[in-house]
Amino acid sequence: MITRQRLFEILDGSSKDAAGRVCEVVIISVVLLNVLAVLLDSVPEIHLKYQQFFASFELLSVIFFTCEYFLRVWAYGSKYDKKKGGSWKGRKEYLFSFYGLIDFVATMPYYLQFLFPGMDMRILRVLRMLRILKLTHYNSALQDLFMAIIAEKRAFGSAVFLVSIATIVSASLMYFAEGSLQPEYFSSIPQSIYWAVITISTGYGNVEPVTTIGWFIAALTGFTGVCMAAILTGIVASSFSNQSARKRAAFESQLKLVLVDEIVDDSEKRTLRMLQQKYRISDGEVKEMLSNLTNGKITEL
Amino acid sequence: MSVKEFQKKTCSILDGSEFSRLSKFIEFFIVTIVILNVLVIILESVPEINSVYSESFYVFELFSVGIFTLEYILRVWSYGVKYKKTEGGSWKGRKEYIFSFYGLIDFFATAPFYLQLLFPAADLRFLRVFRLLRIFKLSRYNSALQDLGEAVVAERESFYSALFLLLISCLLFSSLIYIVEGGVQPEVLGSIPLAMKWFIMTIVGGWGNVDPTTALGSVLIIITQLIAIMLAAILTGVVATAYNAQVTRREAQYESLVREVLADGIVDEDEQKELDFLKQKFGMSDEQVELIAEQVRVENQEKEEKAQLEKQKG
Repeated sequence: MITRQRLFEILDGSSKDAAGRVCEVVIISVVLLNVLAVLLDSVPEIHLKYQQFFASFELLSVIFFTCEYFLRVWAYGSKYDKKKGGSWKGRKEYLFSFYGLIDFVATMPYYLQFLFPGMDMRILRVLRMLRILKLTHYNSALQDLFMAIIAEKRAFGSAVFLVSIATIVSASLMYFAEGSLQPEYFSSIPQSIYWAVITISTGYGNVEPVTTIGWFIAALTGFTGVCMAAILTGIVASSFSNQSARKRAAFESQLKLVLVDEIVDDSEKRTLRMLQQKYRISDGEVKEMLSNLTNGKITEL
Repeated sequence: MSVKEFQKKTCSILDGSEFSRLSKFIEFFIVTIVILNVLVIILESVPEINSVYSESFYVFELFSVGIFTLEYILRVWSYGVKYKKTEGGSWKGRKEYIFSFYGLIDFFATAPFYLQLLFPAADLRFLRVFRLLRIFKLSRYNSALQDLGEAVVAERESFYSALFLLLISCLLFSSLIYIVEGGVQPEVLGSIPLAMKWFIMTIVGGWGNVDPTTALGSVLIIITQLIAIMLAAILTGVVATAYNAQVTRREAQYESLVREVLADGIVDEDEQKELDFLKQKFGMSDEQVELIAEQVRVENQEKEEKAQLEKQKG
């Protein structure tokens, strides 16, 4: 009989044995099949032919995901023992985590149609697409991206600020220059903003200016778009690289402190491992730093 | 509070060197008014909205012009305390503000309103464009535009070379395409200025709306498109380097301050204030600051431990 603790380890991915891996592969396959089904279901010919099949597949998947969800809620009770907050702490943590919310939103709306039989089903199809986000359980790329964006929110804020200023200014200038000549495109600033966004993002707007001034504004806006892309890439890339350089420097100084007495004991090792994970530094980099600092005497943590 | 003190207080609030509830509130107030102004300019341009709310828009315009005028006058007056008598007197600080980027923006964003009042009969609609300048008042509170300016100035050599490259290739390729295709497609490439228009469109959007008719023409178009890609890459590289250098410079400055502060192992109130000010000025994130402080702390600890080890040996 499987205990709750064992089930938690399998579902959480902390057990690296065959059962954990099988569970992972099964869930990933069901998610991928679901995404494929949503895509194919949107093609009218296929939808007509296999309607019945898709409906039963959807029912099966919903049952599968519902079981998964409730098993997770139950099993995550084992995350903390009584002393650390009891079983509801782990459950609450899961329920309100990013994954917990995704799991919920991707599955539960299905049951809404039994509660409100007349509702518009299209929204359900959109929510089904959210199931693809379940894959983030097994790949940290998306999570890394979010973390990086949160860490660099200032750089992103600056970028958004610059783009909005560029958009508003060029839209207003174009409105002043050509508003009366091409009222179908530039009759108001909000309407010109549409043109400005297209020109900034693609370099060439949906409207050919008719005056020379208008043409200069358009060329300048297009050129601003090129510069904006450069600025955004530049800001974001440099802030990412600065952030990781800063983290490496902090880790290296910690490493130096540990190596003062030339012995790395167990508690020091644990601290370093924790820091390595926190700062997302690869094993290779750590090895390199270690052998640099000790002239090759110590190469492994 | 004497007049002098009030002047000093006003100056420190307005130029952002003070952190208090009051200065935060004033900053928030000005930013809100500026954003509302931009919104009004946008909405005013929609005929249906303008015909209904034109009166309230006018009242709001009066109100904001009043606020901005007050702000401008207070700034000019209070910035007199920036320099002592021996350093140039009160007019040095004022002159500095009036002719700075922000001073000019503040002036030209508001003054046209009074011009309209003085000459009510004149058609000064083109002055509406100046109202748009108010959006740049925001950059006082978000350093992005300023950072960009600084970065461009620091890397001006590279920007000059990129611009030079652009200019040369513009002249060269528009003349070449004019010679090659001008006779075949006179309506789009019939003169060198027309060809320049094609060149700019190609550089900016990757496609200049002209199909080549000759083999040589298609080669020229392909090369121009490649130049567009290269230019984008060069610009990105230059901006990234400039930003990188800027952030590194700032972090180094902050780090040296942290080192100074932590030298005696205690952070007193004044030192904390100084650190906060620099952090705010450079727009550094909490995490960044924490990492720097942690690094310096660990390094100090390492030095101590080393000294202890030496002592034991000795």
